[in-house]
Amino acid sequence: MKKYLFLILAAVLVLSACGGFQIGDSEGSNASEEDSASGETEGSDAEGSNGEKVTLDFWSFWGSEQRRPVIDKIIEDFNSSQDEIEVQHTYVPWGDIWTKNLAAIAAGDPPDVIINDINTVKLRAQEGQMEPITEFVDSDVENRFYDQMTEATMYEDEMYALPFNTDTQILFYNKDLFEEAGLDPEDPPSTWAELEEYAAQLDVEEGGSYERIGFYPLIGAGSDVWMMNALGENYISPEGDVKIDTEPVHDTFNWILEQKNKYGENTITSINSQFENAQQDPFMAGNIGMMVQNANYYVQLRDFGQDINFGVAPLPEKEEGNGHTSWGGGFVAEIPKGAKDPEASYKFIEFLTNHDSQLYWAENNFDLVAHQEAGNSAAESEEFSEAGREVYSLMVENMDNTLLTPQPLVAPDFASTVNPTFESIISESTTVEAGLEKAQSDLERIVENNR
Amino acid sequence: MYNSNRMKFWRAFNLVLLIVGSLFMIAPLFWMISIALKSMEEIYRGEFTFIPQDIQFSNFVEIFEIAPFFTYFINTSVITVLVVLANVFVNAFIAYGFAKINFKGREVLFIFVLSTMMLPGFITLIPQYVIFAELGLVNTYYPLVLPSFFGSAFNIFLLRQFFKGVPSSMIEAARMEGANHFQIFFKIALPMIKPALFTVAIFSFNGVWNDFLGPLLYLNDESLYTLQLGLQVFKEQSSTQWNYLMAGSLLVLMPVIILFFFFQKYFIQGSNILGQTDEK
Repeated sequence: MKKYLFLILAAVLVLSACGGFQIGDSEGSNASEEDSASGETEGSDAEGSNGEKVTLDFWSFWGSEQRRPVIDKIIEDFNSSQDEIEVQHTYVPWGDIWTKNLAAIAAGDPPDVIINDINTVKLRAQEGQMEPITEFVDSDVENRFYDQMTEATMYEDEMYALPFNTDTQILFYNKDLFEEAGLDPEDPPSTWAELEEYAAQLDVEEGGSYERIGFYPLIGAGSDVWMMNALGENYISPEGDVKIDTEPVHDTFNWILEQKNKYGENTITSINSQFENAQQDPFMAGNIGMMVQNANYYVQLRDFGQDINFGVAPLPEKEEGNGHTSWGGGFVAEIPKGAKDPEASYKFIEFLTNHDSQLYWAENNFDLVAHQEAGNSAAESEEFSEAGREVYSLMVENMDNTLLTPQPLVAPDFASTVNPTFESIISESTTVEAGLEKAQSDLERIVENNR
Repeated sequence: MYNSNRMKFWRAFNLVLLIVGSLFMIAPLFWMISIALKSMEEIYRGEFTFIPQDIQFSNFVEIFEIAPFFTYFINTSVITVLVVLANVFVNAFIAYGFAKINFKGREVLFIFVLSTMMLPGFITLIPQYVIFAELGLVNTYYPLVLPSFFGSAFNIFLLRQFFKGVPSSMIEAARMEGANHFQIFFKIALPMIKPALFTVAIFSFNGVWNDFLGPLLYLNDESLYTLQLGLQVFKEQSSTQWNYLMAGSLLVLMPVIILFFFFQKYFIQGSNILGQTDEK
């Protein structure tokens, strides 16, 4: 009996020597509490010339080999650019970072700056999860960004975050396969009809099954992207007007189903499954000739595509003159509610989104940055190959046609409400007419309830 | 008996069935190993091959350059050892009380303990976090380790059933000889339910070793991170480094597999006894 007790005791003693059991020695929550406490007691002179350095906790999900060094360099630059604020970066896993953030806000112990999703800013602002930054933002800063990005950070006339990066959906096509099929590799399709026509030429059919398909709308993109492309706007407006049961959307689904029935369920499923588990890539493997993808996909082609000869083009339009509307997302830097020193936090997020930081980020990660000028500079950057510059320029141009879809406050979960219905249309367990009518009324009901 | 042909046939049949079954079970593991040894180029090329064309052992080295997996390993081990020890001894101690000591309100109290099993962990997550934050213990291992020192209903229930199987006559005899409950607990009761203790140990090892949410919420300092958090560096919004992720996952899986081989005997005993009904 004593033996066991000793063992446990000894183990506890040895292990408590490890860092994880020392309270308050590390720079985490406790240190920051002390910071704010001492800030309060010292009061007036804390902000002054030889006031203590503020340590800011910055959370991002950029932990990969590619991104981490880039953000760390920007932070280093910030830390050495002034001597009042010291930023410390913590990597928190993608997706889960926001769960953790919520818990930390609830406990009153949040980070000082966090990278978060741009489409849910208004929602978090409404829920009181972030500090407004309007008082710090001057017009120079406000006008740095693409308009739709700035708009997404506004809630009740207050600005709540600074946009950091975005993305946009474009068409990738395999030039070698174009040539093989007798198509002009410099003349990508620009309408849905052309897409179909080109696809037919790229198809390789053998004994009733497809070895290669030219194009299928739902590989790489969702039906929502095509709906937006057809409508020229999201199918639910910020105010809650629903435009699902409309002619353009009917056309969209009929068009998708047409393609699906041409190739057959099996072909689509087999290619899609390769794509969805993301462990294989049908485009790189040459199993599909054209595909709509997030423009960032270029990085994967560059790094792992083994010199695949590809071209890029804007999303084809439904018919000539309808517009090449595309869709994008993105991230913002924001200050969680309860952060100890919002002004200091703001100084850092301003630095994150200034021209030089953004250009550095663009050149090293190939993300489309929120800073327009920096994006323009990146499009001509010597850091990129010629193909890189071509893709980046298209990304920048494409922002004119790119919609962001901030979640409407009257129906924040709009997508999860209607997506099952869209899926059952695609799987043909509902007709287009019945499905769209149902989706329209489902969404309208939710909007009604939330108003 | 084994001489009869029919018996032989059934043995062979069982063997084949087991082999096919295990192949099915083990296939994902092989696939994992296969991906861990491939290059990203090969993975993206999308040919369905189990044997990589160009074996990249370097993946296993490179992951250590991307994230300090050795530190994560130590961190995870520290937490795991403490939680497993606590789970085994604390729960056994409580369970012994419920099984073998008569006191007023025992059954009611036991039902209270059991009722905590009805609460999904997610519900207590935020309040628990807030409490630990108030105590200033966020960003330490205390929130991950301390709760296990206060018992868990399932383990208490499990061990109580085993302790009930310890003959009361034996305990009475020990008491007659002048042993107190502590002595009886350590010298008689505990050794008799060894398989159950190993079962609890293995279950809780698995739980802690693979725990993601706890460390995610409570640890802010990257030097305190655990393996499960570390593995996430290979996943990002648009791309995943599958080869690194699988190589890392294999390394993380290794202790679980090794442990299973070591304690297989107890584990299977434990699972068997789990299936038995309460003894009179």
